[in-house]
Amino acid sequence: MTGSRRLRVAFVGKGGSGKSTISGSFARLLARRGEPVLALDSDPLPGMPYALGVAIDDGPIPDDVVVEGPEGGPRWVLDPRCDADAVIEQYAATGPDGVKYLQFGNLWGHASTLQRAQHAWSQVVREVDPDRWHLVGDLPGGTRQAMFGWARYADTVCVVVEPTAKSLHAAARLLNLSTATWAPHHLVIVANKVTDPAEIEAIGARLGRPVASGLPLDAALADGDRLGTAPLDVAPNGAFAHGVEALIDHVESLDYPRDMREPS
Amino acid sequence: MKIAVVGKGGSGKTTTSAVLARGLARHGHRVVALDCDTNPNLGLSLGVGDRETQRLVTLREQVGESDTEHAVSWAEILDTYGTDAPDGVRLSVITRIENPEPG
Repeated sequence: MTGSRRLRVAFVGKGGSGKSTISGSFARLLARRGEPVLALDSDPLPGMPYALGVAIDDGPIPDDVVVEGPEGGPRWVLDPRCDADAVIEQYAATGPDGVKYLQFGNLWGHASTLQRAQHAWSQVVREVDPDRWHLVGDLPGGTRQAMFGWARYADTVCVVVEPTAKSLHAAARLLNLSTATWAPHHLVIVANKVTDPAEIEAIGARLGRPVASGLPLDAALADGDRLGTAPLDVAPNGAFAHGVEALIDHVESLDYPRDMREPS
Repeated sequence: MKIAVVGKGGSGKTTTSAVLARGLARHGHRVVALDCDTNPNLGLSLGVGDRETQRLVTLREQVGESDTEHAVSWAEILDTYGTDAPDGVRLSVITRIENPEPG
């Protein structure tokens, strides 16, 4: 790690492409390097806990620390007595390797009230100390949330793509994030479930950008998926884990202008 | 009959929809396939190809940009903006988010 730079990375891609699997493993492996990692999950059908090995499915920020916002401001805000640090301290779960996990909330069972937790989650993400935590985020599948700016906390957005026509189609659309006013500084293509190196080249050719990282299709991970076991626990030294380590190295090596971290 | 297919990302919604649509059409039913996904891929699974799938969503965007006072009917949308997929399925795209917007 160079100096005190903290990573701010989010994962987007088609549903089922492996965002949760990769982001959860990325968070854990980064934490194993002795780094403070906050995993951010804005998927209302969360898959990240499985990859993190956190035993919760539904843990939104509770309603009793969320109050009505000021006139003309956001509908809901954190109780002024409770700041981002306090929310992380009290309501983020601690997973294996010391990853802190802050969830958007599982839509199932919360249809009417999740709005408060979502506002609170967004506020924490906006106000979290950027020098304290590495942020590793997981978005829901598809283009909707990404296009509406839910990954704007990240300066690096990883587009996860499988070597399938539909996944490539979604990835091509997601690359339009580069035209947003809040475009991330780096859009990184991560090829997942690769069975042949030629697929990596084909993905790069189709998307018109180099593929930064190729992760292999791993039968052990599929078995773990069926059992609900985290990839790093089912294959701690497998090719997938090594690939994610290399992805961390790659993201760390990216160049950022100094003023990137200044709030806009 | 009207059938909607839902489920987790990657579980096979689009594939199932496409096979259902073509299967019903092969049984002699008149079938309209509607892609309501914000990331529409149904054309790929029905077999109309990459380019036509993309063309459909581009057409849909133009409908969205035209004035809403003269809203077109369903039949017109299917006629003008749909495409013929194999086995006689008529495909149309309802939703898409292509360009990043503040939110």
